[in-house]
Amino acid sequence: MIQLDGICKSFGENEVLRSLDLSAKKGEMLVLLGSSGCGKTTTLSVIAGLTKEDKGDIYLEGSRINDTPPHKRGIGFVFQNYALFPHLNVYENVEFGLKAGNKRSTRGGNKTEVKRALELVGLDGFEKRNPMKLSGGEQQRVALARALATEPECILMDEPLSNLDAVVRERLRHEIAQLQRDIGLTSIYVTHDQVEAMALGDRIAVLNNGRIEEAGTPEKIFYKPEKEFVARFIGRKNIFAGRSATLDEDNGVLQISTGNFDLTTVFVPSSVGTRVKACVRPEEIILAKSDRNTIAKSARNEIAGRIVNISQNGPLMRVLVDVGGAEMSADITRLAARDLGLKGGDRVLLTFKATSVHVIL
Amino acid sequence: MSLSFRISLSLIAGIFFGFIVVVLSCLLTATSFAEFTGEIRSPEIISAILLSLETSIAVVLLALLFGIPAAYILATKRFKGKNILDTLVDIPIVLPPLVCGLAILIAFGGEGIFSRFDVLFTVKGIIIAQLFVASPFLIRSAKTAFESIDRDVMDAARTLGASEFYTLTKVSLPLARNGIASGVVMTWARALGEFGATAMVAGCIPYRTETMTVGIYMHAMSGDISASVALSLILMSFAFTTLIVFKYLGTIRDGNLGPRGAAAQ
Repeated sequence: MIQLDGICKSFGENEVLRSLDLSAKKGEMLVLLGSSGCGKTTTLSVIAGLTKEDKGDIYLEGSRINDTPPHKRGIGFVFQNYALFPHLNVYENVEFGLKAGNKRSTRGGNKTEVKRALELVGLDGFEKRNPMKLSGGEQQRVALARALATEPECILMDEPLSNLDAVVRERLRHEIAQLQRDIGLTSIYVTHDQVEAMALGDRIAVLNNGRIEEAGTPEKIFYKPEKEFVARFIGRKNIFAGRSATLDEDNGVLQISTGNFDLTTVFVPSSVGTRVKACVRPEEIILAKSDRNTIAKSARNEIAGRIVNISQNGPLMRVLVDVGGAEMSADITRLAARDLGLKGGDRVLLTFKATSVHVIL
Repeated sequence: MSLSFRISLSLIAGIFFGFIVVVLSCLLTATSFAEFTGEIRSPEIISAILLSLETSIAVVLLALLFGIPAAYILATKRFKGKNILDTLVDIPIVLPPLVCGLAILIAFGGEGIFSRFDVLFTVKGIIIAQLFVASPFLIRSAKTAFESIDRDVMDAARTLGASEFYTLTKVSLPLARNGIASGVVMTWARALGEFGATAMVAGCIPYRTETMTVGIYMHAMSGDISASVALSLILMSFAFTTLIVFKYLGTIRDGNLGPRGAAAQ
């Protein structure tokens, strides 16, 4: 288990970490998600002891390690650029930590340990190779084997896949997830890639401006974020400010202040007039052509609007609709867009369930 | 490029190269093979050659001892006054050796701060003078080599359980080896060719403080050109060897090396 309490770190005038609290449970894969420059790498560097924190405490398995030098922390590190030793071959790279830490007698060699580590990452037989002549994916496997060979208490990975092409990245991501689960190694994985965070994390911590904005399961972070920043960061498009209007036992109605419409939600605020933010996921909206200009209120949300723009959004089409002054995005399939014959200026009806409206206090 | 321009350009360059070749060849034509072999058998010349080799090798070893830590600190650590130290290293490179010699003379002379060390007009004095003038070349070169090592590679070593010293000896030094080697070559060549500071500090005492360069000066001034020429030719052969080694090392970039034997693959 790794725990950070109130870590502060500045580089000159630049405050990178502002009282950061973080913990990774034993055997857990914690993903630190954030945009570049938010302090992700510095956080890992502080945990590993490569950067000295200005303030705060770091605990590993319950003991404070602030003053333990990096080579005695027993924390493995996998770098974005692999950071292999260019003057050593693959075997010597993996063996480096065993020799440096004097964990095994060097007389008998570390053959079994090195072999096992290379087998773990599927590079058995690569011992004599020059690491600089391997592909990016293979190099990162060597780096992984090198870190695992020392049997660290936990492992930190700093965007390990971001220099790889899409196919290799996906395969290696899958393998890292598998490996981490098999070994049960406490891991902190830094990335700016949401897909990676979603696929790998037992828990995700979203980092913003040197602080943890929100931490939770991927399910919570991606579908029910508590913070507006997180909702925006994970790409929620339809976020509306409003206040709760009428309430009944099951449903609440939110009056949206930025647009002239109401939203029905299953969220029941404690009192009328509470200021809230409402998110509607673009892919849960159903579009229909309509000439009506009325707003229906029911357990389903039905909002009329006019198409502002239609654009490509990955495999889907994103339809931007003006709804009473606010803009709402809806994602529909290409086929649906063609069948409906949608074009800019068309009047449409947006329909979505009350459960599709996520409320942020 | 027009033909006339190309011709005039080649002509000007040709004059320069021709000048160098002609001047250097004059050294060769100033002596005969018999005269040369005769001169290099003279005890004074042999003593000068040995003294030069002895002092310059001592300088290289001392420069490694003091220069590698200095270069490593300058390359990897952040501290106040680093820029001042960095500039300090360059001063002996740009300062006339005579001025360096004079400073050493005063520092180690009668009233000087180091006067209790008896180094003036001794071999120790020669070594100090040469070290002062030549060691910055090693520090410069080693520093650049250390700086070119990927910071993450050294950090990786630390997280794998290597102490800072282990990282220095097993990662940084091997990766900086070519930079250090070319620094050694430069420092050695500079020490071997040092004259001004050496003469200032150690004087020109035959058999005692007569290095090759000092010998060339003394013999030339006393009209014994053939001895000067013999010493010069030997220095020239050293210089050419140095140059070739240096150029070769320059072709291999540090931090980019393969593991042993991998270059042949």
